Amino acid sequence: MSETCVVGKSAPRVDGPAKVSGKSQYGADIDIPGALFLKVLRSKTPHGMVKRIDVAEALKIPGVVRVFTHADVPGENSYGIIVKDQPALTDQVRFRGDALALVAAETEEAAKQALEVIKVEIEELPPLYDVWSAMAEKAQAIHAKGNILTVSRVKKGDAAAALRTAAVVVSRRYTTQRVEHSYIETEAGVAYMDNGILVIKAGTQNPHYDRRDVSRVLGLPMHKVRIIQAATGGGFGGKLDISVQCFLGLAALKLGRPVRMVYDRRESIAATGKRHPFLVEYTSAADREGKLLAVKAKIIGDTGAYASYGPATLNRAAVHATGPYEVPNVDIEALCVYTNNPFSGAMRGFGTPQMAFAAESQMDLLAQELELTPLEIRRRNVLRPGSLTATGQRLDHSVGISATLEAAWEKAGRVMPGLGGEVK
Amino acid sequence: MEKFQLKMKVNGRTVTVAVEPGLRLLDVLRDVLHLTGTKEGCGEGECGACSVILDGELVDSCLVLAPQAHGKEVVTIEGISREGELDALQRAFLTAGAVQCGYCTPGMILAAKALLSRNPNPGRQEIARGISGNLCRCTGYAKIVKAVELAAAELQQKEGAAGV
Repeated sequence: MSETCVVGKSAPRVDGPAKVSGKSQYGADIDIPGALFLKVLRSKTPHGMVKRIDVAEALKIPGVVRVFTHADVPGENSYGIIVKDQPALTDQVRFRGDALALVAAETEEAAKQALEVIKVEIEELPPLYDVWSAMAEKAQAIHAKGNILTVSRVKKGDAAAALRTAAVVVSRRYTTQRVEHSYIETEAGVAYMDNGILVIKAGTQNPHYDRRDVSRVLGLPMHKVRIIQAATGGGFGGKLDISVQCFLGLAALKLGRPVRMVYDRRESIAATGKRHPFLVEYTSAADREGKLLAVKAKIIGDTGAYASYGPATLNRAAVHATGPYEVPNVDIEALCVYTNNPFSGAMRGFGTPQMAFAAESQMDLLAQELELTPLEIRRRNVLRPGSLTATGQRLDHSVGISATLEAAWEKAGRVMPGLGGEVK
Repeated sequence: MEKFQLKMKVNGRTVTVAVEPGLRLLDVLRDVLHLTGTKEGCGEGECGACSVILDGELVDSCLVLAPQAHGKEVVTIEGISREGELDALQRAFLTAGAVQCGYCTPGMILAAKALLSRNPNPGRQEIARGISGNLCRCTGYAKIVKAVELAAAELQQKEGAAGV
């Protein structure tokens, strides 16, 4: 075998030595002499139309160079990975945290002072904080096309018929909460012009998408925008979305000066994506032996003010709704719904952890009804080589869940003897 | 406001700088001395990313005002390696795969350093307690604990050899 082959060997991280010695440059570490500091004024109102933004007082503060609003966005004022629905600087507020104005100042202190004196007039609209009120017939549309963004369906066999004839049927409603990624590095970066090319260095998980959205928002051709990923201190899906990129780009482009910005923890939590809260109505049916016959589920994901990765998250939720189990009859509907909450996007697992909570709880309840152990009902239903998934895919290669289940049980027995009643 | 003449030892070198008295030690290290290995995660003493060793004690440099460091000795991640050679803890973090995004790493290494200086042979529980003020959101704690064990073992062995 060639000496260059690394498969099966432990290779040292290329970025390891720099990271253990503190030399790695994250977004906030980049030294950029003469850079202006940027700060964003964020809405404290959850829903409404921006009538007027008065920046006169802010511009009088020594050190303040410029204040940008939606009127200063040169290109299409909308970005987003899947749906271009999020403005860089907005004239319509959709959640507490929407960006209203961007201050560029010689110091962070001056930029902060400017935020205090910018006057914003907003014509408030009733906020829609839950998916039910957002889906109500006469609900105010948060975006032009209405509040139900996408509906994903997975259907196989005849779930309704199977539910009518099954020996056991269990129905429950599950809710999961919004989760913040809380990467230890908050969003940060710098930008500058280099021979007519806008260069943005920032922590990100998505430099190519960033480039597309920055060029769209600034009205620049793609080859005039360069995104360089700085060392990124955790993302977990949360740094797939645009955060500082468009602000940095707008200010560097318009002012022709280097700029930098760093979110503090409060802003990082207030302004960036979350894990989708789910509401799941889940019905499972099994025969006397505990073999699953059908799953019917309605999933509603609260994607908040903007789509971000919402449609894909809900699609994934639908596809994985039956868990690692073989179910012959499936009827799943997953809705991605806008509300006036902080927006939800990608986060580790992408909709499947929420569904695992529902699907596994259902398995335990079925086991109770059938007087089987939680382990046994799973043994009887796990996907195996040859199984058909909910979407009709035949798993013709290896499937690890059965071996995983047995190994977990074996270990559980060792560390917690007498667990679960299987150990007599 | 009148500037404060801050004199302290940083990584073995005496530095004197005039700073705003309201500045945090973290700001002096990062913005004045350009020692950006010390990170800010939360700014309120929850995450430990800004950990440094101040007169032998592990502190969150975001909770220390610059004048409080006057006359004291500060060790940051940049002061851990000697003449370009990585410290045993730094090497152990690499060997054990204890570095992921790396943002908590400087603080973690300093927390471990402070621990090993007062307890050269800590058990797992003691290591866990020693790094309990430092958050790793990549959730690599098991490997971090392993790295501290590795470094402790190496240092013990060296000490043993030196004693012979």
